Amino acid sequence: MVAPALVFAGVMIVFPFGYAVWLSLSEVSLGQPPRLNGGANYARLASDPDFWNGLRLTLSLYAVSLGAQLVIGTWLGLLLARSRRARGLVRTVLVSPFMLPPVVIGMMAIVILDPSFGIANWILAQLGLPPRLWLSDPDTVILTVAAIDTWQWTPFVALIVMGGYLALPTDVFEAAEVDGAQGWQRFRRVTLPLLGPTLVTAAVLRSVDLLRFFDVIYITTQGGPGTASTTLNILAYRRGFEFFDIGYASAIMVTLSALVFGSVLVFARLRRAVTW
Amino acid sequence: MKRRELIGGTLSVVAAAAGGTAPARGQSGRTAFDWRRQDGQTINLMFNNHPWSQAMRDLVSEFTARTGIRTRIEIFNEEQFRARLTTFMQGRSVDLDVFMTLASREGPVFRRAGWYADLVPLLADSSLTAPDYDAADFSASIQGANTFNGQVIAVPINQEGPLFYWRKDVFQRLNIPEPRFLEDIPVAAAAIKARDPSIIPWSARGLRTAIPYAFIGFINNIGGSIATPDGKPGLSQPASIRGLEMYANLLKEYGPPGALNHTFTQVIELLGSGRVAMVYESSNEFANIMRFPNRANDLGVKVLPPGRESGVSKPAAIGWGLAISAHSRRQPAAWTFLQWATSKETQGKLVAAGVAPPRASVFQGPAFERWASEQPIRRAWADALVQLGREGTGMFQPPTERIPEAREKIGDAVQQVVLGRATPAEAARMADEELAKLQ
Repeated sequence: MVAPALVFAGVMIVFPFGYAVWLSLSEVSLGQPPRLNGGANYARLASDPDFWNGLRLTLSLYAVSLGAQLVIGTWLGLLLARSRRARGLVRTVLVSPFMLPPVVIGMMAIVILDPSFGIANWILAQLGLPPRLWLSDPDTVILTVAAIDTWQWTPFVALIVMGGYLALPTDVFEAAEVDGAQGWQRFRRVTLPLLGPTLVTAAVLRSVDLLRFFDVIYITTQGGPGTASTTLNILAYRRGFEFFDIGYASAIMVTLSALVFGSVLVFARLRRAVTW
Repeated sequence: MKRRELIGGTLSVVAAAAGGTAPARGQSGRTAFDWRRQDGQTINLMFNNHPWSQAMRDLVSEFTARTGIRTRIEIFNEEQFRARLTTFMQGRSVDLDVFMTLASREGPVFRRAGWYADLVPLLADSSLTAPDYDAADFSASIQGANTFNGQVIAVPINQEGPLFYWRKDVFQRLNIPEPRFLEDIPVAAAAIKARDPSIIPWSARGLRTAIPYAFIGFINNIGGSIATPDGKPGLSQPASIRGLEMYANLLKEYGPPGALNHTFTQVIELLGSGRVAMVYESSNEFANIMRFPNRANDLGVKVLPPGRESGVSKPAAIGWGLAISAHSRRQPAAWTFLQWATSKETQGKLVAAGVAPPRASVFQGPAFERWASEQPIRRAWADALVQLGREGTGMFQPPTERIPEAREKIGDAVQQVVLGRATPAEAARMADEELAKLQ
């Protein structure tokens, strides 16, 4: 009975990943079969400043975006769960950002955030605030990209939190109320611990996405200005498809995959710790 | 005998008349070319998103009507195009028959990989090549760019290079003389900034990988060179540093905010919408610029002005080509498409789409002349292209086969100066060190 599933997993998951690992251990010249090179690509990673820059940017984007999405998403989710009016309509509106293809999000960001003709700076000007370079400022480009991703995916977290909150046993909250727990104290001592497994689930889903975040950066900045938004995904893409350095690009991607698996394992352990 | 001469020689003995759907008699008396010889086949074509490929999509039904060969066309933006092409070719896919290629960029690498079919045997085969194809009609420099050690890897489909566009009405209104020399451009930009802050004085490519195409003209015109006479990286030469400084300062002091993420799309949008006074952008974009209201009347266009001391104007000049995949199993049908797409007749039709023809006879022919004489700016564009073809260069980087990487290093040097993270001399020195590693 499990044979079809095993075959499917082998063909669709194990083989491509195994092939990528093999390429990462090989020197790949265009038009030639790969030749194993004894892990030289991984040795190159250690001494490549672009790799370390990419790793730093990947982790920065991950931490900022995940943190913002969990905090704002939890707040929004609880607000929605407690609101009885137009809940269906609000849910529909909330779903729309993450239903949009990343290409559309990227193009929207380019138009809205262009320092010369974008509406974002026009709004700042109406508010008496100085214009910003948004995606063109090497010091803030990662924050801007994180903000775009947060705009798109916070509603997703909010819907998960709302669903989790509505499934919680009401008697716990009633008991807390009888004991005099109110406001922040109730949230801190009751709601948050009960929502722990839900939040970890949301964090796992967003972690996988954030660590392999590619499309919006590629469309909006192509990794620039300079290398200020060249995350590991962008770096690997450029090395592989623009510089034709496929073995090294595969080594970067295998390393990034290990990072993704590592983060999922950490969250899996955390989930066990917060399960009640 | 050089291979290019061989091609011309081969063709010169083939009958001149062909082109109809039915076989006809050529000058030599032999049966002329049968365009329907590959009737019933289907070929797969992969193109970069370009005015040529957009126009070709509309024209290709004429090819099918003439030859009976059906086509499946895929068009991607340049980066995605190369990614997909690499995937197909590295996988030795037999599904791809024809692809666009920029020989000045990827020619050496793709050729070494064995991805290009050699067109010489096809050109020389009178049963496969129309007698009036006239390969010698392509200028020697254009065909030479597609020839590597005797192997013809592609046939040219256009010629292009960056041109200097300026708003004549703005210059007139602000009483600023038109830049005659390269050094006049920053002076004009400063005057525009001082006299009318509502208009952006200058715009050009600031995206790292897009910079070298425009940047090389500044280096050459000011009297520098991207490589030393012995082929070493030459950005650190005094004149080259001055070119680097001028390009970076124009973007920094007079360019639009966010210029470092700009490539041709943003530059053209700014020019077309009337928000910028001068740009340095591709000749390819001419048709797109002309679609904006008033631009046909208020713009001037010419090659990048020469340096005051050097007297030289040597900007980038490149041309895309059409290649046949070495793995294709339908090479005769693919070659039929290449002939039709680069024939005098088809290239004549592509002129209306703003595609500069690489064939001398089309460029100097009555149809192109009639089109160019309809508007002064078309004439100016055509004259600029003639000058580009005569004086331009396809070399944007010191000699290396790792061309995309080298271009990125050059673009990075410009960006470092614009961002104020390095002086021009420091950025040039660092870039030269990196470029030397790629040789």
